[in-house]
Amino acid sequence: MVVDYLASGLVFSSIIVLGSIGLSLIYSIANFANFAHGDTMTVGAYTALVTFGATGGLGAGLLGLPLGFFLALVVGIVAAAVVAVLTEKVVYDGMDAGSIELLITSIGIAFIYRAIIQMGFGADFTRYDVQTLRPIEALLPYGIRVTQHDVAIVVSAFILVGGLHTLLQYSDLGRKMRAMADNPDLARVSGIRTDRVKLWTWIIGAGLAGAGGVFLGLYNQLSPRMGFNLLLLIFAAVILGGIGSVYGAMLGGFLIGMINQLTPVLGQLGELLPLVPDTFAIPIGIEYANAIAFVIMVAVLLVRPRGIAGEGA
Amino acid sequence: MGALTDPRGYWGDLTTPERGVVGAITVFAVLLVLGLLTGVLAPAYFLYLVGLAGMYALLSFGLNSQWGFTGLINFSVAAFFGLGAYGTALMSASSSPIAGQFLPIFGLVAALVLAAILAVAIGIPTLRLRADYLAIASLGLAEVVRLIVLNEREVTNGSAGVRGIPTFFEGWPVLETLPQQLPGIFIQPLPGTRLVFEEPFWSALLNVAVVVTFVAGSYAILRRAHRSPWGRVLRTIRGDEDLARALGKHTYGFKMQSFVLGSLIMALAGVFYAHLNLYVSPSDLDPVTTFYVWVAVILGGSGSNRGALFGGIVIVTIREGTRFLNGFEWIPVDVAPLRILLIGVLIVVLMRYRPQGILPPQRELIWPSVVDEAPDQPTSGVREARMGGNDD
Repeated sequence: MVVDYLASGLVFSSIIVLGSIGLSLIYSIANFANFAHGDTMTVGAYTALVTFGATGGLGAGLLGLPLGFFLALVVGIVAAAVVAVLTEKVVYDGMDAGSIELLITSIGIAFIYRAIIQMGFGADFTRYDVQTLRPIEALLPYGIRVTQHDVAIVVSAFILVGGLHTLLQYSDLGRKMRAMADNPDLARVSGIRTDRVKLWTWIIGAGLAGAGGVFLGLYNQLSPRMGFNLLLLIFAAVILGGIGSVYGAMLGGFLIGMINQLTPVLGQLGELLPLVPDTFAIPIGIEYANAIAFVIMVAVLLVRPRGIAGEGA
Repeated sequence: MGALTDPRGYWGDLTTPERGVVGAITVFAVLLVLGLLTGVLAPAYFLYLVGLAGMYALLSFGLNSQWGFTGLINFSVAAFFGLGAYGTALMSASSSPIAGQFLPIFGLVAALVLAAILAVAIGIPTLRLRADYLAIASLGLAEVVRLIVLNEREVTNGSAGVRGIPTFFEGWPVLETLPQQLPGIFIQPLPGTRLVFEEPFWSALLNVAVVVTFVAGSYAILRRAHRSPWGRVLRTIRGDEDLARALGKHTYGFKMQSFVLGSLIMALAGVFYAHLNLYVSPSDLDPVTTFYVWVAVILGGSGSNRGALFGGIVIVTIREGTRFLNGFEWIPVDVAPLRILLIGVLIVVLMRYRPQGILPPQRELIWPSVVDEAPDQPTSGVREARMGGNDD
């Protein structure tokens, strides 16, 4: 049973990680908590829905998904990035405001995204037009119930995160981004064109969020509130990992996703742990999975405000 | 200086935005009166709207005393509002899974006690945090409260909500049956329209009386508090917390007091809502309520109580006005997203072009006597004061 929870935790973590990297990047470089990040994910998901509806089951299948779906994924990523850059240019850029004003503005932006999507698609849940798969047979004997779609989510997330790692470590842009996240003023006086780096940060952060949104739609369903509902979990992940640290965001996202899916284990602790009576259990149901993450978030803020990857309080 | 004794002087003293607001309110009031006279707006429904506006004004007062006075970014408004509503509902409703059947006045006390406990419980971990962390943490804790209300069915009746809430004056000597006893009045202001003042109207009037009492009481308390030395410390904390600490103020304690005070007023709004709506459900704790109140406070002008009042009215106009649009078949979009869109655009436009709000606090931070007694012009010119005029 625990193995199954771990497996689904890995899948859910992949989605959270994609969201939290972007939030963390934008937090450190644009210097505010972007409450519209969750709704950027929704933008990606719905763009992919439209694209996939147009292209349909194009080409042969890969991991239970038609190739058209991967095209839709790319379009979703691009759309999320374009929308975020436009928002940055039209709204945030040129605002003479502190981080609190930007934070409140981003709530307005989040509402605008959500309202437009709801106008176009209604408030109801929808799905991608892909076949619902049965769990992979070969893994069932081990107690793991994952579908090929789940594998596709994890593999795609790994590729995207690996690509970002390569970019950050081995490219010129990546070095500039790290320098700027570390100390924006020092980066500017060193001759880095910070505006351009900031723009790329928005593109990368929102693009990853778009991918996260597409996978969230594949994992669950699509609804105009899907991204906003996930936003606090992503904040929890970013804060746990340490704001501003991309690798911290990955670790935090992984942990929050895992904790979220492992919540049912709390009710079976007695049966799972040795040396503990079978009847022992922490009576917290799956409905409190998110609440646990939020409480962890507050606890981390109190004990170690810079997160596990930060330099300590 | 009053608007009635010296209207021209009063108008002359107003700033341009204040004139705009007075003008807009006048036009709005005329429209409302027209709506009432022509029968478009039923009197009882009109009073319901007034009640809602009063409720939002209360919520804005509460947030204003946290954000406007002290600079605390509290994103858990909905939790305190919902707890106030649930507190009184669970005490007084006939379908309450726990206590039930108590007089609403005990519900009011229970709601306020609950809100104070929650305020301290949320305040202890979050008030030490940096401003943006406080925002995220309080939103997270508000979600925890919502999840508890949604899932603890034995206590809160879960997603079904609580029905059978009595009106606020149930069990009171005269007021309980007053609406039934008052006569029905029918007026025909214009040919073809008929205004009905019957029991629903009278009970709505009673509700308005309740909320007006709440609003007036909170306003009086906040106004006094804001001008007191205590309020000055809060403003200092908002401006520069390190300075307040350097002056020897225990800032955490002051923040906690301000947080609890604001939360109690929000819970008061929840109590009123429960007895107005006669039904509460976990959807009342939805975070969107929090953001409605934030728009009201920012729109009115952070720190300004009259601005909070104005913001409350605007929010009700947006919330209930969009409901009217449902009647027009030719509008192609759904109304719910239109409302969210309006709120979103309002937030962005305000923060971008007028972050201080429409009616920022001006004279209300100063004792009126100081303004009234201050001379309009200096009694002597600068040159005279410098003894001579040989600098040209």
